[in-house]
Amino acid sequence: MEANNGQTKAGDWRTYQRVLLPPVKDLHRLDVYEQHGGYTALRTVLTDARWEPKAVTEEVKASGLRGRGGAGFSTGLKWSFMPPVDDRPRYLCCNGDESEPGTFKDRQLMEYNPHLVFEGILIACYAMSINTCYLYVRGEYADWISHMERELEKLYAKGYVGENIMGTGFSTDIVIHKGAGAYICGEESSLMESLEGKRAYPRIKPPFPAQKGLWGYPTTINNVETLACVPLIINNGAAWYAGIGAERHPGPVLYGISGHVNKPGVYEYPTGMLITDLIYEVCGGIRGGKKLKAVVPGGSSTPVLRADQIEGVTMDAESLREAGSMMGTAGMLVMDEDTDMVSFLRRVTHFYHHESCGQCTPCREGTGWLENLVTRIDEGEGHLRDLDLLLDLCTQMEGRTVCALADAAAWPVRHTIQRFREEFEARCKPSVFPTGDGAPAEAVPAS
Amino acid sequence: MADITKEISPLPDRTPEPVFSKDELVFTDEEKARLARYKAQYPTPEGAVMRGLWLAQEKFGFLPPEVIRLVADELGIAYAQAYGVATFYTQYYKKKMGRYVLDVCTCFSCQLCGGYDMLHYLEEKLGIHKGETTEDGLFTIQEVECLGACGSAPMLQVTNGPYVHNLTTEKLDALIDSLREGRMPPFVSVTLPQDEQELDGNRRSDAEATEAYVTPPVSETVK
Ligand SMILES: Cc1cc2nc3c(=O)[nH]c(=O)nc-3n(C[C@H](O)[C@H](O)[C@H](O)COP(=O)(O)O)c2cc1C
Ligand code: SF4
Ligand code: FES
Repeated sequence: MEANNGQTKAGDWRTYQRVLLPPVKDLHRLDVYEQHGGYTALRTVLTDARWEPKAVTEEVKASGLRGRGGAGFSTGLKWSFMPPVDDRPRYLCCNGDESEPGTFKDRQLMEYNPHLVFEGILIACYAMSINTCYLYVRGEYADWISHMERELEKLYAKGYVGENIMGTGFSTDIVIHKGAGAYICGEESSLMESLEGKRAYPRIKPPFPAQKGLWGYPTTINNVETLACVPLIINNGAAWYAGIGAERHPGPVLYGISGHVNKPGVYEYPTGMLITDLIYEVCGGIRGGKKLKAVVPGGSSTPVLRADQIEGVTMDAESLREAGSMMGTAGMLVMDEDTDMVSFLRRVTHFYHHESCGQCTPCREGTGWLENLVTRIDEGEGHLRDLDLLLDLCTQMEGRTVCALADAAAWPVRHTIQRFREEFEARCKPSVFPTGDGAPAEAVPAS
Repeated sequence: MADITKEISPLPDRTPEPVFSKDELVFTDEEKARLARYKAQYPTPEGAVMRGLWLAQEKFGFLPPEVIRLVADELGIAYAQAYGVATFYTQYYKKKMGRYVLDVCTCFSCQLCGGYDMLHYLEEKLGIHKGETTEDGLFTIQEVECLGACGSAPMLQVTNGPYVHNLTTEKLDALIDSLREGRMPPFVSVTLPQDEQELDGNRRSDAEATEAYVTPPVSETVK
């Protein structure tokens, strides 16, 4: 293993000091959060003349912060898309829908450091001159919602949220909105439809949310973890943030690691961690001393990597793209040598079929056929040609739909089949081709 | 041969017999005040429909058409819109459920860490299949998609409420026993591995209960 003496893109990660989830007891309580410097970033931007709203956006842009919700888009750039202030309402949506299989980090942030999220929301609202933020949390997180509502009440009582925040004349409301069980609501335009009280069908883009978002007004959508980085950037400066982890994808990341490792969990480390370090050093290796078979680096829609593909690969957008995958949500699933890739893929296709909103034909029908075909192969009834049919189906789905769910469903199928082709072929019956006289003939034997 | 032409599910009955009587179909003043508060948080009354449906489900247990209509009327929005929303989201119960709904995650990480073992154990223990309710009306089992607790797989959620992490068959036995006595599981904080060195594990002193992330079990059914 190269560069394993602590000097990776992630720096000397063994001595890394956590900032999103620093080791402070009861940090989730407002009084404790304030004792540890909480809400000073907000106070600073609201009272210090240096911090014009534009300057905040510029600082975030300079920090290199990229969205933690999956797409990895530059946060400062996204903020700068908001049109100039006029008399129309403007909205911020904080995306706490967290439904991408394998992702469980926003929940821990909401549980252990909710005020960092609230403070990030408030600073973002100030930067974009927004007076209402909807914090959309998936309905299953009912307990975490009630914990956060309790803390939010304290914030209102203290004058940190609502009218005339800290006596500065700036006002912003935060409304926690409880979802009700639909993966698609994590997609930004679907989330807005859901907030408007409709069936959550994603919208065609353009127009983008900054032009035409919630109720038709300028809107920005950011992930929970993304916004939690904002107070840190204000307090410590863009250069500090940009210096953490991988150069082109910097910052602290909550890695949610699950599957066949000895010590799963949510870990905070810089971006740019070697995948091998995360598995073998951080998570104590593969359960039962087994060998590694595959890794899904960032949630179910990111392409799976074989064990032989992860050597030297680090957790940042560039390195993962080169390796043939994506950073996604940094929710990493680790699979040992006994994992059945066919039944794994079957369950993944079931998920997307279940969660397709049904608006676009390639997705609604395509996800169903992906599931049917992979199920057939899993049950030993598939034919070799089904594999190519599946790949063809993926091509029919990718890039042809309103939202990226269809792509998210197709990628795991395409890459799991391509990267574990022999395992799939071994489960298939030989394909039957018609002969010239119309009678079927057994043509290609299973490899 | 796997069935690749699954039957299309029948259309729901549009005018089923109401379950609740006229007298039952009322919101208290306190509930009406809550609905008014929700309404004030959105620029249109439609925005409050999800909160309204949640409130109604807490009160009535599930959402038959007459309850959806009650919510729509109270918010002053179209019944069709409220019905459309209620039927889009999986957590809104469209039919009567058991007193305790056991949502077992079998998705992704849970699949690989024994989610199906837990589901099958529960099905056998309670003598029902997923999607069914026990005769005494106590338990419904559902197979659900990722609940965002993949590191503590396998896991389940009880009636849209508390999570039960790091499931084992012993844990399921204890859970069923306690639910039979009417005791819901507590809220469990799963402590961060990095806190175990730096904070003796538990960072919230108000946590009702804590657990650690543990090595997941080897799955019997799906590897
Ligand atoms: C099908 C689908 C599901 C998504 N689910 C989530 C989600 O649960 N949470 C999230 O933050 N972003 C999710 N996203 C990404 C959002 O659309 C959006 O890019 C993100 O919230 C923007 O925030 P960021 O720039 O801070 O990452 C999803 C996208 C798609 C296409
Ligand atoms: S791609 Fe799928 S989920 Fe997205 S809008 Fe179309 S049908 Fe709905
Ligand atoms: S896969 Fe079960 S909680 Fe995420």
